[in-house]
Amino acid sequence: MNGVAGKQPTGGATALGRFMENLQAVPRRFAETMFRTGKPQSDRTRSTFVFGNVFLHLHPVRIHRWSLRWSTTWGLGIAAVSCFFVLVVTGVLLMFYYKPYPDVAYLSIKDIHFVVPTGRFIRNIHRWSGNLMVVVVLLHMARVFYTAAYRSPREFNWVMGMGLLVTTLGLSFTGYLLPWDQLAYWAITIGANIAQSPREVTDALGITEWFDVGGLQKLILLGSEEVGEEALIRFYLFHVMILPLILIALMTVHFWRIRKDGGLARPADADSRLGPPAAGVYPVFTEAPQKTYSLAAIVKGRTPAVGSGPEQTVPSMPHLMFGEAAVFMLTIVLSVVFAILIDAPLKEVANPAVPENPAKAPWYFLGLQELVSHSAFMGGIGIPMIVLIGLGLIPYLDREIAGTGVWFGGPGGRPLVVRSTVFGLAAVLAVEAFVIRFGWIRQWWPGVPQMVITLLNPGTVLTVFYAAYSVWSLKKYDSTRAGALALFTCFICGFVVLTVIGTYFRGPNWDFYWWPSQWPGH
Amino acid sequence: MKANKHLLLWSSLGTLAVLLWAAVQENFFRDWRLIQREIQARLPSAQADAFAIQLRQIVSRQVGTTDRCVSCHVGMTPGESGIESNRLYGRHADVVHDPASFGCTVCHGGQGRATDTADAHGAIPHWPERMLAKEYLFAGCGGCHTHLSVPNLAELEKGRARFEQADCLACHKVDGRGGTLRPGGAGGQEGPDLSRVGAYGYKVDWYELHLQQKKKATSGPWLSAFGELLESERTAMDEYLHSRVGAPGLLEAKGLFHTFGCRGCHKVGGVGGDDGPDLTAVGNKDPGQLNFAQVAGERTLANWLKQHFRSPASVVPGSVMPELGLTERQIDQLTLYVFSLRRRSYPEALWPKDRIRAERFGTREFATDGATLYGTFCAACHGPKGEGMRYPGFAAFPAIGNPDFLRLASDDFLREQIKRGRPGRRMPAWGAQEGGLKDGEIGRLVTYVRGLGGVAYEGDSRPRRWAQGDPAEGQRLYGEACASCHGERGEGKEGPALNNPVFLDLATDSYLFKTVQNGRAGTSMAPFGAGSSVRSTLTDAEISTVVVFIRSWEGKK
Repeated sequence: MNGVAGKQPTGGATALGRFMENLQAVPRRFAETMFRTGKPQSDRTRSTFVFGNVFLHLHPVRIHRWSLRWSTTWGLGIAAVSCFFVLVVTGVLLMFYYKPYPDVAYLSIKDIHFVVPTGRFIRNIHRWSGNLMVVVVLLHMARVFYTAAYRSPREFNWVMGMGLLVTTLGLSFTGYLLPWDQLAYWAITIGANIAQSPREVTDALGITEWFDVGGLQKLILLGSEEVGEEALIRFYLFHVMILPLILIALMTVHFWRIRKDGGLARPADADSRLGPPAAGVYPVFTEAPQKTYSLAAIVKGRTPAVGSGPEQTVPSMPHLMFGEAAVFMLTIVLSVVFAILIDAPLKEVANPAVPENPAKAPWYFLGLQELVSHSAFMGGIGIPMIVLIGLGLIPYLDREIAGTGVWFGGPGGRPLVVRSTVFGLAAVLAVEAFVIRFGWIRQWWPGVPQMVITLLNPGTVLTVFYAAYSVWSLKKYDSTRAGALALFTCFICGFVVLTVIGTYFRGPNWDFYWWPSQWPGH
Repeated sequence: MKANKHLLLWSSLGTLAVLLWAAVQENFFRDWRLIQREIQARLPSAQADAFAIQLRQIVSRQVGTTDRCVSCHVGMTPGESGIESNRLYGRHADVVHDPASFGCTVCHGGQGRATDTADAHGAIPHWPERMLAKEYLFAGCGGCHTHLSVPNLAELEKGRARFEQADCLACHKVDGRGGTLRPGGAGGQEGPDLSRVGAYGYKVDWYELHLQQKKKATSGPWLSAFGELLESERTAMDEYLHSRVGAPGLLEAKGLFHTFGCRGCHKVGGVGGDDGPDLTAVGNKDPGQLNFAQVAGERTLANWLKQHFRSPASVVPGSVMPELGLTERQIDQLTLYVFSLRRRSYPEALWPKDRIRAERFGTREFATDGATLYGTFCAACHGPKGEGMRYPGFAAFPAIGNPDFLRLASDDFLREQIKRGRPGRRMPAWGAQEGGLKDGEIGRLVTYVRGLGGVAYEGDSRPRRWAQGDPAEGQRLYGEACASCHGERGEGKEGPALNNPVFLDLATDSYLFKTVQNGRAGTSMAPFGAGSSVRSTLTDAEISTVVVFIRSWEGKK
């Protein structure tokens, strides 16, 4: 056939000829039509390519060189998305074999681990990139805070970020139950009891009978009084359906707002800090713009193309794309290396009759569990709420300009952060050392009213210390940003130290031990 | 951008390498693949072609096991044949329970669903339940056979000795010994193997049947090896045969447990004392929950148990379990037995006979003759022969086999004493509600204890309460003569407590009077009716006042 078609130089003359010609052209045309604007070969076609691609158009067409510096973001946001991508892929694969029903769930995890080809590897990847995602999201938040990138007009996107943090923790927490082993069962039992802790307050007020918000929270979480089949189905549904959808929705808004809020934050003098572009970098925007800027008249806010020259920008394709791809692959390589080195834990099947001692929540909640060990409400609900609200308010309270887009920018700067780290560590270690050595209110005066015990958690004391220090810093530098820097740094120190103590230094009955080998039996 | 390109290149190559590594690992280097390939290579070529390298498993819906152990131990797969005999990969030895229907983990423990050596055998983090080591293999029986009725060691040994003296081993095989002769002549009928006869049961009239055969016989083993047996010999042999269930080591270990009186302090299956922890499911204990601070060596349950048996208080600080002075072999045996305390919940349809009999009909998991009962519940404190016990750091335990005591204590006294115990003291109450012994069992114990002293109750014609005298004078005399051992208020020191309500209720005045008067030979209790160089004689009247004083505690707290 090909030969026949080839012999007809004027094949276009007949319908059959045109057909054959078109047939031959299919692969080429197909490739061409995939891209709305032709192959992305020139600077311009690359730009239109980004612009015209549904997946890429969340990117700017051109990006400022400041945003491409590794130290601007350390790629943490992209790393978080990459983790999510890996989690979705491996998670869907796991769903082929996972059966969300008590005991059967455990057996199916064992089958995944031991029999399903590469099942163990996939599960390990899922487990470790889940943990990696939590870490990366926290680091991402720290990065945005320390570079003061939450400031106007990005306040709302910071709040979106908080939503993403909570959703990520929720995803990780709901996934924790699914293996239905002892580790999972008791960690979730702890978590559910934390959700129930407002009952401590309603009990003290004597109104639990009419207004049992703690009990209700636990009931909503577990669908029953105990962690059982209802809880498992619920957690499963949240884990594979509801929370991922919420996360995707929040992520979409988060990305979109980055664009609409003017790209990544950068210092006002970014251009002079950067200096002229290196010789090898794509040159300035030389081609005649094809699009008109008439729309700019009605678009609110600043976009990279409006109000500043394009001189320090480079086309996203390929500069940004390579950066993102590099971070993406780096995240994956980290996940797979972890997965091949360390197996995801699996204990024996969940047994409601045999409590784990110590029963520990997932690691990122162990700081909370450390506080909860003194009084559930303040440790589990009160202080986390204060922290979340405090974090959410940061961009609305700090409306300064100095230091935006610069690491540890703003009054006080790096020395303040260093000093706050020292103070933050000293305060949390002092409080913990005191509590571990001398106990807490309940041990001293068992008769003290429950409300006092509930509210006067060591965490409350720590919060007061941190707040006082923050106010002092705020006054000293006469700057809200300085207060925020002090408080946030202290919070990070507190979170890390409490988590480490909860993870490594707490044994049976939540007693303090230097080494797990000292844990007693019986 | 160049840096990013490099990063992309190297991280992509890294990912690719890891994925390749994982794929190769998965497809070529899993433990079971290597083993099966090696086995395949050793098979004759025709067979090797038919030998598929694949995961194998035994699924028992009944028991609820899915055991992939046979993926490595290929020769034990049901229906697999022709694999050269090899302890690990060859055929499973013939056992009572067919692995094809029960799976592997029911007896051996470990993770049946695992397909890697370390995982399956359980030596991995987060997995507390290891496979049973070879030396504790028979402990696996305890998962289902929780109630094998076993006498104490002496009784077991007595039965075995009778059995062997009667030359039964000439024709019968037991636990791999004997059975050299054939009663039916060369090539004729064999004597049945009796190693598991306790599990299957045997004819009640075996003795009569044997006798008939002997009468018919003109020569051969029937004539030469079988002789007439006394009733008592046959009873002892019956007890021995009932214990032959194919697990002689475990049975002997349990016999030992029933000899040292461990149940005096420990409950197993609801029967036993309360001083020590309940041992019913102690074989399932997670070593992660044990204190290894004072235990050298491996962090395994076996190692912990052994060290604990050697010196309980040094492993568990504050433990009141005495050092029993066990030999290493006894320690091994007790460890095996404790390991076997691992009862599982299986559907009732699968329960072995012994478990049904025990849990539904109330039969015992210890033999219920007096000697075994005494060995099981009393021997730890009162001594194997009722001579009392003295452990370092503990007040002496009473010698209940002492003739001076048994002469004064009626059977009713003993029975009530066992039933009610000494509240607040070390002697627990053994009635059905508390320690879990039945009336008949307590009756047999009383008979046995009486036999230990070999004396009958001398009888008492006087009323239960007859002593008279001045309590103040009694108190003075008590303070001089008795308080140093029995305590100022009779609370007991080296000697037993006298203010104990059950004791005061059960002891008649005659009992108290004569005990003070005659003492107990062989114990610290001296005869106060006969003076010595260091002690003046108490007259009958004086002893009466002491008894009156002791009585004054009755009804007081």
